[in-house]
Amino acid sequence: MSERDTFSFIVGGRAGAGVKKAGSVASNLFASMKRYVFQMDDYQSLIRGGHNFVATSTSLRPILSHYMRADLLVALDARSVRAHREDVREDAVLVYNSDEVEEGDLPDGVDAIGVAMKEAAKEYPNPELRLGLAGPTALAACIGLSRDDLAELIEREYKRDLEANQAFADAVYDAVSEKAGGRFELEEGDEERPMLTGNEAIALGACAAGLDVYFAYPMTPASTILHFLAKHGKKLGVTAMQPESEIAVANMAVGAAAVGARAMVGTSGGGFALMEEAFSLAGMAEVPFLGVLSSRPGPSTGVPTYTEQADLHFALHPGQGDIPRVVASPGTVEEAYILAAEMLALVWEFQAQGVLLTEKHLSESRVTAAIDLDSAAEVSPVMHEDGEYKRYVSAENGVSPLLFPPSEELINWTSYEHDESGFTTEEAGEIAAMHDKRNRKTEAMKERLKGMRAVNRHGDGGQVIFTYGSTTMSVLEALKARGLEATVVQPVYLKPFPVWELDEYSGANPIVVEQSSTGQFATLLRYELGVEPSKVITKYDGRPFEPDDLAAELEKAIG
Amino acid sequence: MAREFITEVENTWCTGCGNFGIMNAMKKAVGILEDRDIPKSRIFMTAGIGCHAKIFDYMSLSGLYSIHGRAMATAEGMKLGNPGLRIVAFCGDGDALGEGIAHMMHAAKRNSDITVVMHDNGVYALTTGQRGPTSPRGFKGPSTPEGNNEDPWKPLVLMLEAGATFAARGYSGNVEQLAEIVAAAVEHQGFSFVQVLQPSVTFTNYFEEYNEIVTTLEEGPLEFDEALRLARQEEPLPAGVFYRKEKEPYEVSINRGRNPVEDRMRREKRMKAIGDTLGG
Ligand SMILES: Cc1ncc(C[n+]2csc(CCOP(=O)(O)OP(=O)(O)O)c2C)c(N)n1
Ligand code: SF4
Ligand SMILES: [Mg+2]
Repeated sequence: MSERDTFSFIVGGRAGAGVKKAGSVASNLFASMKRYVFQMDDYQSLIRGGHNFVATSTSLRPILSHYMRADLLVALDARSVRAHREDVREDAVLVYNSDEVEEGDLPDGVDAIGVAMKEAAKEYPNPELRLGLAGPTALAACIGLSRDDLAELIEREYKRDLEANQAFADAVYDAVSEKAGGRFELEEGDEERPMLTGNEAIALGACAAGLDVYFAYPMTPASTILHFLAKHGKKLGVTAMQPESEIAVANMAVGAAAVGARAMVGTSGGGFALMEEAFSLAGMAEVPFLGVLSSRPGPSTGVPTYTEQADLHFALHPGQGDIPRVVASPGTVEEAYILAAEMLALVWEFQAQGVLLTEKHLSESRVTAAIDLDSAAEVSPVMHEDGEYKRYVSAENGVSPLLFPPSEELINWTSYEHDESGFTTEEAGEIAAMHDKRNRKTEAMKERLKGMRAVNRHGDGGQVIFTYGSTTMSVLEALKARGLEATVVQPVYLKPFPVWELDEYSGANPIVVEQSSTGQFATLLRYELGVEPSKVITKYDGRPFEPDDLAAELEKAIG
Repeated sequence: MAREFITEVENTWCTGCGNFGIMNAMKKAVGILEDRDIPKSRIFMTAGIGCHAKIFDYMSLSGLYSIHGRAMATAEGMKLGNPGLRIVAFCGDGDALGEGIAHMMHAAKRNSDITVVMHDNGVYALTTGQRGPTSPRGFKGPSTPEGNNEDPWKPLVLMLEAGATFAARGYSGNVEQLAEIVAAAVEHQGFSFVQVLQPSVTFTNYFEEYNEIVTTLEEGPLEFDEALRLARQEEPLPAGVFYRKEKEPYEVSINRGRNPVEDRMRREKRMKAIGDTLGG
């Protein structure tokens, strides 16, 4: 290994060739070596063909991004060589499918090892699906894993058709070992950590806080929250349901909350658009409501399986009318867990709505995470005790106690403007008073946030860099990659915007890093803090920042 | 504290409006249900937006006054959240078959254990009389001054085909029968649909016509095909329970027999399950 403290593995091929599985198995292998891992899946919105790859990077220190310059590239088809030929490090090894790749396509200066993968797979059932296994096998050979250890790994990870898998892997292992066996020495780390994706962390965090029901309509990159909770719901005590549309999703969540069930919904931009009316209903009726918005490049159908941060202003303002709301965005997978719990607790504490804003890059990246599970917040709403009940009784902080059926008392939640009992009103004084009551919740939420950590500050020195969401990981990894000094300021809460923690920056000229084409985050910072960024570094091609590339840009901007 | 069933909220329905008959029937139905061990406290309601929906403010039943077209989805969420409740959604024809048709069809398809009472006045009344999904061809309203150029739907046919396990028709002019129908619908475990013929005295004053053509369906519930045949019939219009079938409600299986709010896991157990899930 070079003097770098990261090792990067890329496996690429057609959809249907087991690429994602290959990447995950490689990540698991690194994790089992007690190392830190960051796995990024790059795939297209199709089921067969196209070009998919997984970039998984590992280090002995916490690692917050994949690196696109690979030490080992395994190309299952010709397109993977063409797509990644510029992405290999100098001393890299390229293992390619010699049945498909033309020698002329091979990049110069790398150690290229051709393996007749198609030929080797042909003898067995599902030959295309088996190709992926070449990925972890080549990795095993290059990091000097013994044949027995590889056999054990295959037994663990590729159980189906085990014998055929072993035979195919043997052929690949022999071919790679001959030329590059043990080429890379990867040290063992200190501790084995579980691997999970951002979406899994969100699901588990919400469960920790007391989630009862999850409603969602399939939409990448949020869908895996639904899949995860449908699969594990029985054990976790959560019901996961897929209704007919996002409109149904959001309205069902409102109904469920009205009887006391802690509900959450999740979607991407298009589905979020359909939920707006229900956000507004929840605002008026004061229904606790938590929505996960996992962004992909828009507008419209956009680029379904890629990443972007262009839904920031949308997340801050869903639905008609003035509505108290909390919006926050996690910077890491660990933070996603903590934040999902915290936000579910907050929306129940304030009978308000929350948007947990994230992006494909966090939702679907898979990392080794060290999560302190017990640190999750717990839902604990203010409940009505006894006496006559009025759903919207005036309260200093705007929060009227809750009461759920069955009860002898009359419980009236409503979408109309209303009096304290929840009956429709068109009376001037009552209309204004109810606006004031709801707005007091915003003030109360600000006070609450003041007692929490609403902003993360990383590093301490020199240039100030503002960023948020999954881009935080890219920025921190970029600084680490180049050993750059900076103060990275990451507002976790975006509404109410934590100005109280950020006073010192008003009038400053920070660098802003975000993934939107118009600089939505920079706009928010100008508005909330009066800062004028010296440079806004954006990326809006669907791909997350690459740490080495971003480091070069940052270096230039820092000067 | 014992409350009157009718609240003190000022009633703004037009004199003679069919909605009064529906509200009186609901009041009786609640009494009938109490006698059948379904206490009022376990009935939770929702409503769309329209003249019909004002029933929400006028009755002292707990619930959530939803938005136009979404009451069915709201109701499903309520039932899923606490299956121990009986959920009633009061909807308009515009509400249920226009804006919210997808929810209606799917609630029936999955046999969600809710009751939809559809106030069918054949018009968008609250928004001043535009044609709706059940308005007859030729119906003149402010948006169709030359007459409605669409044919109306037959709501019972739609709901039977969609999978409703309880389908009935009532008439706001026959409160006694309607009360029995609504009570039976609420008691039924599964998706219950009640089309209520509800003349709007202002826009669709069909009282006289209905008094002629609405008959009582004595022999219901019927076999499915017979129910469907009768649902298609235009005249006479029988009122009664067309169809009823026992089938496990959706909320039982989706919740795996649990009640999410009553059987919530304690924190320690939850944290252990999370740890186990992470561990493998
Ligand atoms: C999303 C939305 N679109 C339109 C309206 C306006 N609106 C209120 S009631 C109504 C139609 C009511 O018709 P129906 O459901 O048949 O109820 P009715 O008044 O006839 O009882 C409409 C279109 C609304 N409230 N919300
Ligand atoms: S307009 Fe029609 S539906 Fe509305 S209250 Fe008057 S009579 Fe009833
Ligand atoms: Mg109507």
